[in-house]
Amino acid sequence: MNEDYLLNKRILLVDDEQELLDMVLSILTEYGFQNVKTAKNVKEALEQAEKSRPELAILDVMLPDGNGFELMEHLRKGGDYPILFLTARGEDNDKFKGFGLGADDYIVKPFLPKELLFRVMAILRRSYKDENPLVCLHDSQIDFSRAEIIKNNEHIPLTAKEHDLLSALYRNAGRIVTIDALCEAAWGDNPYGYENSLMAHIRRIREKIEQNPSHPVSLVTVKGLGYKLMIKGK
Amino acid sequence: MKSIPKLIRRFVGIMTLSTILLIILNLTFFAVVFVRNTSTFSPWDMAEHAAAALQLTDGGYSISDDVSAKLKEENAWAFLIDNDTRQVVWQTDHLPDNIPTQYTLPDIAELTRGYIDGYPTFTGEAQNGLLVLGFPKDRFWKHTRASWDYHFIANLPKNTMIILAVNIVLIFFIYAAVDSKLLRSIRPLTNGIQNLSDGSPVRMKEKGVFSEIAEKINKTSEILQMQAEQLRKKETARANWIAGVSHDIRTPLSMIMGYAGQLENSENLSEIERKKAAVIVKQSSRMKDLINNLNLASKLEYDMQPLTMKQENAVSIVRQVIVDFMNTNIDDKFPIEWKTADTLSACYINADKDLLKRAVSNLIQNSINHNENGCVIYVSVDEDNNTCKILIEDNGAGASGEQIDRLNNTPHYMICDTNTAEQRHGLGLLIVKQIIKGHNGDILIGRSEYGGFKVVLNIPK
Repeated sequence: MNEDYLLNKRILLVDDEQELLDMVLSILTEYGFQNVKTAKNVKEALEQAEKSRPELAILDVMLPDGNGFELMEHLRKGGDYPILFLTARGEDNDKFKGFGLGADDYIVKPFLPKELLFRVMAILRRSYKDENPLVCLHDSQIDFSRAEIIKNNEHIPLTAKEHDLLSALYRNAGRIVTIDALCEAAWGDNPYGYENSLMAHIRRIREKIEQNPSHPVSLVTVKGLGYKLMIKGK
Repeated sequence: MKSIPKLIRRFVGIMTLSTILLIILNLTFFAVVFVRNTSTFSPWDMAEHAAAALQLTDGGYSISDDVSAKLKEENAWAFLIDNDTRQVVWQTDHLPDNIPTQYTLPDIAELTRGYIDGYPTFTGEAQNGLLVLGFPKDRFWKHTRASWDYHFIANLPKNTMIILAVNIVLIFFIYAAVDSKLLRSIRPLTNGIQNLSDGSPVRMKEKGVFSEIAEKINKTSEILQMQAEQLRKKETARANWIAGVSHDIRTPLSMIMGYAGQLENSENLSEIERKKAAVIVKQSSRMKDLINNLNLASKLEYDMQPLTMKQENAVSIVRQVIVDFMNTNIDDKFPIEWKTADTLSACYINADKDLLKRAVSNLIQNSINHNENGCVIYVSVDEDNNTCKILIEDNGAGASGEQIDRLNNTPHYMICDTNTAEQRHGLGLLIVKQIIKGHNGDILIGRSEYGGFKVVLNIPK
C-alpha cells in the first residue's frame, strides 16, 4: 500500500541538543520525510510552529527555557495535530503526565531508528488516514472511510465490530496484535470472555478479504497469541 | 496494649487470694491464742471444786490436801462465808490483810461479780455457806457488768458477715482505684513503647511518677527517628544518583544507537561494515537494558517505586510480552512458543501490570542473552487453586546444578552486605526476584525438560 503521502507531512522536531537533533533529522529524512523543521528551545519552537504549521511535533521533555509539556499546551492552541515525546526521563509519572495532557506517544531514549520510524508512521497513519481510503491487501482492498472491502470488483460492507478490528490490525500492520488487544478494541475496557466472539468475527472478516478463507494470507493467525494483518508493499 | 486487661485480672486475682489468706491466718491465730490461754484452767470450776471439797467436821471446817496444794500452786486463797451470820467462818493461810471478815448482801453481790480490794474473786456454793476463792491481782480480768441487748447477740452472726462483706468491698474499691491510677500512668508508657517498636515517632509528657521513663522513651524515639531519617536520606541519595547517571547516559547512547542503527541498514556500506554496525547496535541495546535495569532495581530496592496492584489477567499480560518480543525481534534465532492450554483464557491475580510484564520480559531476555547460537523459548501460564504459575523455559545451554543453586540462593551484589569480587548473576534476575517478592510470590530456577533453563514464577491469586 502506498504511504508516500505521509512522508509529505510537516514535522516539527524540538530538542536542545544539536547533535541529537541532527541525528533524528537524518533518520527522518533518510526514510523519506521532506518537511522536517527543527527548533532548540520553546521560543524557537513556537516561532517555527507559527511559520510552518506542523502536522506532527516531536518534543523533548526538558528544554532550556521550559518543558515539553508546557510547550505542548501552547502548540495545541495553534492546531490539533499529534504530538510525540522524546525523552531521557523514563519515569512512569512523566509518562502519565504526557498522556494525560493528550500526548499521542512517548519514546524513551535511547531508541533505535526503526522504533522511532514505526511510532511516527503509526501516529501519522492514525491521524491522517482519511486521505488514503484504500489499503491494499493480497486479495482485496479495505476502504475504511466507507467501511467496505473491495474484492474482485465487488463491494462488501463491514460491520462496526469488523471495522474496529481491522482498524486495530491495520494500525499495527505487519505486527502481531494480541487477542486481548483486539477484544479491547472491539468490546472496550472489560474485554475478557470475548475470545470465541473474536474468533467468529475473524472468520467473517476472512471470508470478506481472503480469496481462500481456509488458507488466509492477509489475516494470519499466531496460535494462542493473536493475529497479524499483512499489507501489500510492507 | 493487649496485656493491660490481663494485668488487671492478675492484680484482682492476687488481691482476692491474699484477702482470703489473711482472714484464715487471723482466725487461726486467734483460735490458737484463745485455746492456749483458756482451755486448761477455769477459776469458776476451781471455786466450785474447792467448795465441794470443804468438809464440816467436829473440829471445824477442813479442805482436802490436793485442793489445798492446788490453791498454793496458783497463789490463791479462799474463805467461807456462813449463810446465817455472813461472817467468815473458815479461811486458808496467806489471806491478804485487808480482807473483811463480815459481809453484807451487796458486798457478796459485788465480790461475786468482781473483786475484793482489787483481787479477782470467784464463788462456789458450799455446805452452809459461800466459798470465795481469791487470786493475785494480775491473774484475771473480770467483766463486772456483763450484759448485752438480746437482739445484739441474736443478730451478731449476721452483722459480722455484713461488716466482713463491706470490708471486702471497700478494700476492692481502694485497690481498684489505686490500680487504675497506676495503670493510667503506665498506659502512655506502654503506648509509647508500642509506637517505638512500630517505628513511629513518640513524644510523651514528661510528668508524673514515670516521668523519668517517659523521658528515656522520648530520647530513644528521637535517636531511632534520626537514624531512620539518615538511612532514608542515604538510600534516596543512592537511588537518585543511579537515576541521575542513567538519565545522563541516555542521550549520548541515543546517538550511538541512532547512527549505528542507520549504518546497519546503509546500502552504501559493505556487508562487513554493516555487521560491525550491527554489533554496536546490539551492544548499545544491552547498555540500554542495563541502565533501565539498574534504575528499576535501585528503585525497587529502596522502595521508591511503589507497586500499583490491580486485578489483572496474567494470561493476557504474558501474551502481550511475548508478542512485543516477536514484533521487535524479527530475528529467527529465538522463536517463542506459547504453551498455555487453550482452555485457560484468563487467570486473575493481584498484580502491577507494568512490573509483571517487566519480570517476564527480563526472563525471556535472559534466555536470549545466554544462548548466543539461538534457542527456542517456551512460555506458558498455568494455575492451580491458589496460585498462578508463569513458566519461562528454553532448550538452550542451561546451567549446571551448582549454578542453579547459586542463582536460587546467592544475593545479588546490589543487595549483598559483604564485600565480594565474585561474579554474581545479572541485574535482570534481581529485578525479577524483587518484583515477584512485591507480589508475595516466589521464583524457582531449575532445569527445563526441553534441555535448557527454566524459571517458574508462582504468584498467589
